Amino acid sequence: MPRLADKRLGPMIFWSIAIAVTAIACAALFYAAAGRTVNATTGEMADQNRHFRLALDAIEADERSGKLDASQALAAKGELAREILRDKAAPDPAPARSFGQLQLLSGLAITAALSLALYAFLGRPDLPAQPLADRPELVAQSLDLDDAVARIEARLIEAPDDLRGWQVIAPAYLEMGRFADAAEAYRRVMALSAPSADLRTDLAEALLLDANGAGSDEAMDQLEQAVAADAGHVRSRLYLAAEFMRLGRYDQAQTYWQQAINLAQGNESWLPAARQGLAVAANDGVDTTAADQAEMIQGMVGGLADRLYAEGGSVEEWSQLVRSYLVLNDRDNAQRAYDAAVIAYPAAFDRGELDTLALDAGLTLNGDDQ
Amino acid sequence: MSIELGHFALVLAFAIAVVSAMGGLLLWRRGERLAAVLGQAAILQFVLVSVAFLAVVHAFVVSDFSLALAANHSHSLKPLIFKISGVWGNHEGSMLLWVLILVLFGALAAAFRRSLPSDLTNLVLGTQSLLTAAFAGFTLFTSNPFARLSPAPLEGGDLNPVLQDVGLAIHPPLLYAGYVGFSICFSFAIAALISGRIDQAWARWVRPWTMLSWVFLTLGIAMGSYWAYYELGWGGWWFWDPVENASFMPWLAGTALLHSALVMEKRNALKIWTIFLAIITFSLSLLGTFLVRSGILTSVHTFASDPTRGLVILAMLAVLIGGAFLLFAIRSPALRQGGLFAPISREGALILNNLFLATAVGAVLVGTLYPLLLDALTGTTISVGAPFFNFTFGALMAPLLLVLPFGPLLAWKRADLVAAGQRLMGFAALAVFLAILISALAGNSISLVPIGLLLGFWVTFGAIAELIERSRLGRIPLAESLRRLAGLPRSIWSTAIGHMGLGLTVLGIVSVSAWETELVTTLNPGETAELSGYEIAFDSFEQLEGANYLADTGVFTVTGPNGGTAVLMPERRTYVASGTPTTEAAIQSYGLSQLYLQLGEPLEDTHVIRVWHKPYILLIWIGALVMSGAGILSLSDRRVRFGVPQAARKAKLEASR
Repeated sequence: MPRLADKRLGPMIFWSIAIAVTAIACAALFYAAAGRTVNATTGEMADQNRHFRLALDAIEADERSGKLDASQALAAKGELAREILRDKAAPDPAPARSFGQLQLLSGLAITAALSLALYAFLGRPDLPAQPLADRPELVAQSLDLDDAVARIEARLIEAPDDLRGWQVIAPAYLEMGRFADAAEAYRRVMALSAPSADLRTDLAEALLLDANGAGSDEAMDQLEQAVAADAGHVRSRLYLAAEFMRLGRYDQAQTYWQQAINLAQGNESWLPAARQGLAVAANDGVDTTAADQAEMIQGMVGGLADRLYAEGGSVEEWSQLVRSYLVLNDRDNAQRAYDAAVIAYPAAFDRGELDTLALDAGLTLNGDDQ
Repeated sequence: MSIELGHFALVLAFAIAVVSAMGGLLLWRRGERLAAVLGQAAILQFVLVSVAFLAVVHAFVVSDFSLALAANHSHSLKPLIFKISGVWGNHEGSMLLWVLILVLFGALAAAFRRSLPSDLTNLVLGTQSLLTAAFAGFTLFTSNPFARLSPAPLEGGDLNPVLQDVGLAIHPPLLYAGYVGFSICFSFAIAALISGRIDQAWARWVRPWTMLSWVFLTLGIAMGSYWAYYELGWGGWWFWDPVENASFMPWLAGTALLHSALVMEKRNALKIWTIFLAIITFSLSLLGTFLVRSGILTSVHTFASDPTRGLVILAMLAVLIGGAFLLFAIRSPALRQGGLFAPISREGALILNNLFLATAVGAVLVGTLYPLLLDALTGTTISVGAPFFNFTFGALMAPLLLVLPFGPLLAWKRADLVAAGQRLMGFAALAVFLAILISALAGNSISLVPIGLLLGFWVTFGAIAELIERSRLGRIPLAESLRRLAGLPRSIWSTAIGHMGLGLTVLGIVSVSAWETELVTTLNPGETAELSGYEIAFDSFEQLEGANYLADTGVFTVTGPNGGTAVLMPERRTYVASGTPTTEAAIQSYGLSQLYLQLGEPLEDTHVIRVWHKPYILLIWIGALVMSGAGILSLSDRRVRFGVPQAARKAKLEASR
């Protein structure tokens, strides 16, 4: 109940203040108009006359200081006189009507209505301020992973059959790098519930990570069971294919790569890796793509170099050329391209990344020759 | 609740601005009583927007992340000064700052309106309110800084690390004060066009505002340039980046306006041109805002971009600028040109100044907009780089600088060019001598360098020619000369000092462009490198922890040519919240020259080090400071100060000579 009252009270206080502020502003505007009903055109006339007097003073000062001789001063004064005559002859602006009370009041009414309505549309009077210092509840929420895990562990010692607890803590162990604990937690989950293909793969993942690249018979066993249990399970097939690749059993790896690829929708992030895996497995473990790549780079570099030496290009293009030569291990050409780029862009300011690239590869800078 | 009260204050200010704009522009003939109400309304707008601004600042300071703006751009670990300056380090907050400065100028205009006729007051405050309504409306409807989040996140997204610098606390407010200050000139121009009241008195009211805005803009640009110089880590002080051009164009136009308003004030000539320039200058300020705020340009200034906002700003721009030029086209034929003068006269010289400055604005405008238009229309991306601007702008400035010293020596209306030339002869000889001497010592052959030096010295020395002339230095006893010098009107002093500042800047630019040296190399702790007589020893490499960042720090000992040593500590910082790296160069001044040291990317077993020696680079910014100082001096001159000119005192002064 008191919370509800608080929620209503906040906006009420806010609206009272907002209306008071509006009223004060309108009153200030209203009283600004009070006591100024006299239409003071006399002040303006005086101002205009004062201006002409100043101009006359300036001419006389110039004459005294020798900037104008007598005849020039006379001409200037004549010019000023003509200006004054023109000003006096100009028709007065339309007789000014005064600014009426009605216009003032309607202006104030529009102001008040517009501001309150617009705020009601845009504002959030119900939301209180929440400075960080006033939010102690955050301290409880922002507990880090270690604390949370410790708390769950304590509870699991008391109630080792808490399925939910094991489900939560297993991925947390994985994230913290405690792979053996994670595997044990997954085993507990499998014991307390039906072992699904996903769970078996999770356990296998933990075991493989724990083995740190050395492989695990238990993991292979779990993965094969998962594959057998679920014909549409991709993750287990990918792990299995990768493990067979590591063991050099390319026929089996090829089968599982192919199965995984057949299950793909077409936009999965692992698909290119799987395709490459399949290609390597089909070629009995020899990676042909690297050779292809080198050939492709060579072709591209030739074209780029021809164009850059002939027509010049951006720093990025030069950097690309130098980088390509370095990848091809062609240091002479890399140095030549870099020297050409330094001539095209003499200021280090323009060459940022290129210099880093060249220095990293041990190329010589022009600066070092000096 | 303070956030919502701030929000309401901004809404109320918007409502008052809308009603004031209607009242001021529709009922402007209704006399002094309306002027009093509008004046009060202008001051209220300022008070209310200040409240709104302070509410946002408060939310940033106490890290209230229920304010979306704070959640997106602040962080509880940030040092206090960056919590405050972070308010305008983003789109919404910088629009709020823009509106705050707009209403500040409106309130100042209202406060200093004593001698202003009521019809002009009504129109000026009405136009100013229209601008406030447009920008406050834009802020409220498309980029509301008061948007809330519920539930509030635990931590904010932090400010772009490049912006976490004192520069952010100084540069935008100064620059905005400059940009927005020209809105007063714009409002005066609109008022003159509507009321038909355009005379010397008008120019006398406008000129202080122009001068004030120009001073702020000069300082803002100089500060931005120095900030970019030390923060971006490349040692460049001007990039001809579209955003820089966007601030430079109003400066050029404002400089032209300053001079043409002078002609109008003193000689009642160039009236229509002055009005036109006033509109152009503010239009260029708006164009700059559009370019920066619309997200068309991507740079450190863009923050977040959103195409709808761009369209809204473009529409506002079209209506405000288009409306102003339409009004100008309709009304200007009815205005009377006045004040005849011979081609060779002070007026003529000032027109020449305006001609060159206006052409320079055009050149920069084309160079800035052409790539954007080409990209928008044909999809071709080209970049108009520094060579275009250096060449075009340089070619336009050289003749301007060449004739500049003549201007102040010429008399109004008709003048004797030969006499002025004779008076400048000595300074010309001195400038030629110094330019040849320095070029010879530096081993420069005939090139742009001696020409640039010549122009720099010529402008610097030529600027003081009038002072020497007026004080009759050398022709009468020294004490008498000094007495005369002290008695000179401050406007003459400010002209001389302002032009001298320009000369200093030119000298700095020429010197850095001609004699800058650089060294890029790899260095390990314990090794040394050498550049232009400076010995740079890499002592150690350390990892230090800042308030909200980690820094790889190189500790270097630099031995100058004169033997003095200094420890320089360039850093590469990684900010915890965003993970973004920044480069903090270390800079050591030697007189007016600087050594600029940057710790580059870490390589496998060594570090990339970039060193620049920048001879006399400080002259660039010192010149800008001197120019601004001259502007302030001119503002303090009683004859152009706000309010009543002191006619009586001036007469006495003249009599006493």
